[in-house]
Amino acid sequence: MSGAIEYFQFVLAPQMLIGLVVGVAVILVALGLTIIFGLLDVINMSHGEFYALGAFIALALASIGLPFWLLLILVPLVMIPIGYVVERGLIQRVFHTSERHVTTLLLTFGLGLVMEDVFRLIWGPNPYRPETPIAGGVDVFGIFVPSYRLFLIVVGAAIISAVALIIYRTRLGAMVRAAAYDRHMAASLGVPVRHVYAGAFAFGVALAGLAGVLLAPIYSVFPTMGRDFILMAFTVVIVGGMGSIAGAVIAGLFLTQVQAIVSLYISPVWSDPIVFGIMVAMLMVRPQGLFGRLGHG
Amino acid sequence: MTYKTMMMAALLSATALGGAQAADPIKIGVVTPLSGTYAGIGQQVKWGLDLATKEVNAAGGIMSRQIELIYEDEEANPSVAVQKADKLFQSNKVDFLTGTVNSASTLAVGQVAERAGKLIATTVSFADPITGDKCSPNVFRVNAKAGQQSAALAAWLAKDKPKAKIFFLGPDYLMGRSTVAAFKEAAEKTGATSLGEVFAPLDSKDYSQYFGQIRAAQPQVLYTSVAGNDTVRLLTQMQEFGLLRNLLVLGASGTVTAQNIAAIGKAANGFATGVGYSAELNTPENKKFVEAFKAAYKTEPDLYGADSYGLIYAYKAAVEKAKTTDTDKVRDALRGLTWSTPQGQKTIRAGDHQAIQTMYVAQVTDGKFKIASEVKGEDAIGPDTCTRF
Repeated sequence: MSGAIEYFQFVLAPQMLIGLVVGVAVILVALGLTIIFGLLDVINMSHGEFYALGAFIALALASIGLPFWLLLILVPLVMIPIGYVVERGLIQRVFHTSERHVTTLLLTFGLGLVMEDVFRLIWGPNPYRPETPIAGGVDVFGIFVPSYRLFLIVVGAAIISAVALIIYRTRLGAMVRAAAYDRHMAASLGVPVRHVYAGAFAFGVALAGLAGVLLAPIYSVFPTMGRDFILMAFTVVIVGGMGSIAGAVIAGLFLTQVQAIVSLYISPVWSDPIVFGIMVAMLMVRPQGLFGRLGHG
Repeated sequence: MTYKTMMMAALLSATALGGAQAADPIKIGVVTPLSGTYAGIGQQVKWGLDLATKEVNAAGGIMSRQIELIYEDEEANPSVAVQKADKLFQSNKVDFLTGTVNSASTLAVGQVAERAGKLIATTVSFADPITGDKCSPNVFRVNAKAGQQSAALAAWLAKDKPKAKIFFLGPDYLMGRSTVAAFKEAAEKTGATSLGEVFAPLDSKDYSQYFGQIRAAQPQVLYTSVAGNDTVRLLTQMQEFGLLRNLLVLGASGTVTAQNIAAIGKAANGFATGVGYSAELNTPENKKFVEAFKAAYKTEPDLYGADSYGLIYAYKAAVEKAKTTDTDKVRDALRGLTWSTPQGQKTIRAGDHQAIQTMYVAQVTDGKFKIASEVKGEDAIGPDTCTRF
C-alpha cells in the first residue's frame, strides 16, 4: 500500500503536474485557433508562426530593456493590429469563394512559410533563450517544481477563464457568437461583422503571441518553433469541437495527460501516435468533436 | 565562389598546357557541401584547404608542382556527391579527392574512387564503418572517428570519476542510438556502470517528462547526444528542475557547439566532450595556424578547418615520398605515414587507413570550451576492424 502511495507521489504525480504545464501551453495555442475556426471558418495554418512571432517580438522588446511583466501586456497589444491587417488585407481577399476552406488554408500555410523564413533572415537560425523570469522552485508534496511552471499554470488558467468570460458573458462576446451563428442576420441587426471578423482573428493571433511570450523561457526561441505545438493544438481543436472553448480546455488537458502518463510505460515515441489515434477515433465516432461549434451550442 | 574557382582553374590549366610538363599543377578535387544544412562545415573545409594550399604553393608546391583545388558543391547529398566526384575524376582528371562531409557521401564517393582507380580522403565524416567494416583500399580518413571521441571521453571519465554511474539520453534515430551504444561500450570497458537509457523523439519540446526516470536512477553522469535546439531545451530544462546539481553532463561532439552555446548559457558549464581538435590547443604549431586562419578568414578554425588543413600536408608528404602521384605508390606512401598538423603528429594506420592522433577532452567553463585533458592516440584508436585489405 505504501508502495502505491510512494509511486503516486514520486512518479505519477510529478508526471501529471508536468503534463498539466504542457496542457496549459497547448490550450493557450489552441484557444486562438479554435476561436478563429469557430468564427471565421478559417483553418489558420500560420497560427504556429504567430506564436513564434510573439516570442520574437518579446525577444526584440526585451533587448531594449523592457521587463518581462510589461511584455506580457505589450506583445498582445502589438499583435492585435498585425492580426487585424492580415485578416483585412489577406484573408478577406480569398474568403468569399465557394472554395473558402482550400483558399484560406493555402493562404495561411504560405503565410506561415514566409514568416518562418523572415524570422530566419532577421534573427538567424540559432536558438535564443530568455532568462526565466521567476527563478528557483518550490516543494509541492515532496516533489520539486520550478516556480515558473507553477506560475504558468496559474496565469494560463486566468487567461483561459478571461477568454471564456469575454466570449460568453460580454456584449462583445455576444456579437462574436451572433456573427458566428449567422453572419447575415447579425449584420442586418447592426453587428459590424467585418470588424468582428478581423477583430476575432486579431484576438486569436494575439493569444498565440501571448503564449509565445509565456513559453519562450521554457522552450527557447528559434525560427521553426511554430511547428512545436501546432499539430497538438489542431488535434485539441478537432477533439474538443471546432470553435468550442470548453472543448479545447477539456481536450487539451485530457490529451496531454494521456501523453504524460503513457510515456511512463511505453517509449515516448509512441505518445504522438496514441494522441493522433484518439483524434482519428473521434473523427469517426463524433466528427463534430466533444462540443459543438462556437455560437451553435 | 565555385564559379570563380572554376574560372581560375580553367585559366590556370590553359596556361599550364602551354608550359613545361613538370610545371603541370597537381589537381585535387573537393566535393563538399557549399550550400544547405552543412554549408557551415563545407565553409571550414574550404578555408582549411585553401589556407594550406596557399602556404604549400608559396613554398614551391609539391615536387615544384603547384596544387590546384577544384571545388564542387555536393549539397550534403550522396547522390549529388557521386555525380560531382565522377565529373572531377573523368573530365577534370584530378589526382586526388577530398571534402565529403556526410558519412554516406564519403562511402559513396569511395566506391566512385575505386572504379576510377584514384584515392580520396575525408576530413570530416566520423561514422566508424568508413575505416571499419566498410573500409576501402582507396579511402583514407585523417580526422578522428566517433569511436576515438568516445574512447577519449571514457578514458577521461575513468580518471575524473572512477566507476561512474551513467544515465544515457539520446535522440531516437540512428545517430542517437549509435552514439549512445558507442559511449556505453567505451565507458563500461573502463569500469563505469549504466543505470538506464531513454531515447526521446527528435525535436522534443519538453524533456521534463524524462526527469522522473533520471532522478529515480540517481546518476552521477548523464551522457547525451541530442544536438542543436534539442540540447538547449534539455539542458536549460534540467537546470530549471535543479537536476544539474552534482551531475556531470557528457555528450557527443555535436551536442554543444558554437551555434547553441550562447542560448544554453550557464546550463552548459561543466559539459565535456571528446574532440580531435580545438582552437584552444596551446602548442606553437596550433597558435601559428589559428593566427594565419584568423588573419585570412576573420574567424577561428574549428576541427573541420584544422583537419582539412592538415590533409594537404599529408598528401604533400606522401607524394614527395612516392615521387609520383600514381595511385598505388601514393597509397603505399600514405600507409603508416606520420606528419605534423596543428593538433600535433598524426599517423595513418596501414591496416584500416584511419589516422591515429592525440584526442582531447574539451569542457565548458564560463561559456567557453577549454581543454581538460588529452588522451594518447594509441589509447583512443581501438582495434583495426577492417578486413578488406
